[in-house]
Amino acid sequence: MLSRSALSLALTASLTLGAAGANAADLVIAGRDGIYGQALDATVARYKEAHPDMDIELLKLPYGSLYEKLVISLREKSGAYDLVLLDDTWATEFMGNGWLANLEEQGKVTGDFIAATLDISRYPVAEGPAYSLPIVGNVAMFAYNQALFDQYGLSKPANWDAVKVAAKTISAKNPDTSGVVFRGQKGNPIVTGFLPLFWAHGGVIVDDAGKPQVNSAQGVQALESFLELKQYAPKGIEVYNSTEVRDAIQQRKTAIAIEVWPSWAPSMDDPSQSKVVQEMQVMAAPGQVNGSSPMLGIWQMGVTADAKHDKNARDFLNYLTSADNQKTLALELGLPPTRRSVYTDKDVVAKYRWYPNQLEALEHGKARPRIKQWNEVESILGDYLQLAMIGQMDARTALDQANRKIDRALKR
Amino acid sequence: MLFRSRLQLLLLMSPATLLLAMLTLYPISQILINAFSYVDYVGAERQFVGLDNFVELSEDWFFAGAIKNSLSFSVLASLLQVGLGLALAVLFDRQFTGRRFALPVIIYPMMLSTLVCSAIWRAWYHYDFGFLNNALLSLGLEPVQWLFDPDMALFSVMLVDIWQWTPMAFLIILAGLQSIPADIKDAALTDGARGWRRFRHITLPLIMPQVLLALLLRSIDTFKLFDKVYALTGGGPGNSTETLSLFIYKQGFKFFNLGLASAAALLMLAIACALSAVYAWRYVGAKS
Repeated sequence: MLSRSALSLALTASLTLGAAGANAADLVIAGRDGIYGQALDATVARYKEAHPDMDIELLKLPYGSLYEKLVISLREKSGAYDLVLLDDTWATEFMGNGWLANLEEQGKVTGDFIAATLDISRYPVAEGPAYSLPIVGNVAMFAYNQALFDQYGLSKPANWDAVKVAAKTISAKNPDTSGVVFRGQKGNPIVTGFLPLFWAHGGVIVDDAGKPQVNSAQGVQALESFLELKQYAPKGIEVYNSTEVRDAIQQRKTAIAIEVWPSWAPSMDDPSQSKVVQEMQVMAAPGQVNGSSPMLGIWQMGVTADAKHDKNARDFLNYLTSADNQKTLALELGLPPTRRSVYTDKDVVAKYRWYPNQLEALEHGKARPRIKQWNEVESILGDYLQLAMIGQMDARTALDQANRKIDRALKR
Repeated sequence: MLFRSRLQLLLLMSPATLLLAMLTLYPISQILINAFSYVDYVGAERQFVGLDNFVELSEDWFFAGAIKNSLSFSVLASLLQVGLGLALAVLFDRQFTGRRFALPVIIYPMMLSTLVCSAIWRAWYHYDFGFLNNALLSLGLEPVQWLFDPDMALFSVMLVDIWQWTPMAFLIILAGLQSIPADIKDAALTDGARGWRRFRHITLPLIMPQVLLALLLRSIDTFKLFDKVYALTGGGPGNSTETLSLFIYKQGFKFFNLGLASAAALLMLAIACALSAVYAWRYVGAKS
């Protein structure tokens, strides 16, 4: 009995001390795991060298948990976090709900941020003040194996029709290599793979009046093209996610990847991981009816409106997004920058040969619709895209049903 | 008498009752209110909408699919797990060489976390490099699209659940078998009851409460299926492995549609209660 009481006392004491410890931090940052966590860790370590007395608490959470925790905490105005890392699709919701502090109330944001990346930090988009700063210059790229293209007399694909021809040619002549690969898993992966093709064909998810238009003639044509590509993709593409796509590229099992993210690219030239060293060309996705429309996936960081350490948070954010820190993070970890000067820095370009193309893709990058319900819209579209992909619905039916459901979600 | 008075009994029970009320009755009452409301989570507003959420669910093709998947998974997986558990328990009720070493091997999957189990099986299911397809190829058979054939995916998830949780049914039934008094077994033998006849008429009726208990526990657990689907298929391909738990999680925590999620949770609770009542009624019946 005594030991149980002692245990309860110890638990209570440790919880109290833990809570006191959390409150004692001079800055609390909610961030991601993986490479983003490593980048934040490295930045915190460098920042602390100049601020040795500062106690910084850094949380590194998986994607889904980060969103759930942030929504609940910010909605409850708990003041638990000073700085929060955001996927760009969450930005409208967070800024629109007044959860982030206006970063320009004391003066304009300066620096050579690539315009498209800073535009989505503003609310209203591209026009209002900045409520966050772009941290990670993620943009969906397109990659093809130059050696295989040369072998079969193919040239750099100028549009999506040429992509289909190349995929068909290579998969017909080389049974061990699939013509194309993409992420087919339902939800965010399949939608992300599809969007550059959808936009290039002239598709629109939500029009200027806020009405869903995924089932337009252009949208249906885009989906039919996407389904056509599937016949040149590996078996099991329906469950392919990042790992499978990267493996297919690096093991020379595919000729084209319609979606390659900047964090995947360095390993393609690493001989310890890849069989396609210097073989892959990385470029902005091709156009079709419209020009190239690479999808932006910018990660941003904002100061919360209820931050307990607002001044510290703004100072750290400026340090994190400085050109010097971005260059270090790019060289050490391959974290894609958001400043133009870093993309043209000779040390950085020497290490990452595709950075000029990446800069071009960022400049032409297209953001996903700025709507609060994007998470739900993406999930609905992902469900129906996959139903079409596994043959349970034709393209027209799938997009009609998706449109109806998206309409209902937007009215909710 | 264990307690001096009824008052003492009530007093002793009150903390637990209070805790139960806080942790169970309060959330259920909130779900009940939310199920008939439109809830704006951010604005903290609630508006009574009558049966609108249920109407929306009834028109949702994915929700209907989720009910079908949850029910078929629950019934099939729990029956298979208990059936296999029973067969294993009968085998392990006897002495045989290596029994002492085989027992830990049998119950080992149950000790792994579900995410670890899912990671292991995801590797085994890989179309090109997975151990299962390699085994099939070495036998001259065609590889199987374990996780990306819509007709196969739910069965593949079920196989993982069977691998992980059959040991639980096995242990419950083995405990039942080993609690049968030796004189009953001896009497049956003396009366000439052997083999299948002895099992059918003597052993099975005696262990029926354990069999039904295993069925009850496994069907409740399998009906809530979430983690394996989340880790193995994400509910796909299409909606072939989407379960009620996954549907509710998405509506509630990904989209914060609390009204819709609560209505779905209420329906899920009703189905789970009905499912459990069948077994519980049989269990009580078997006991009495």
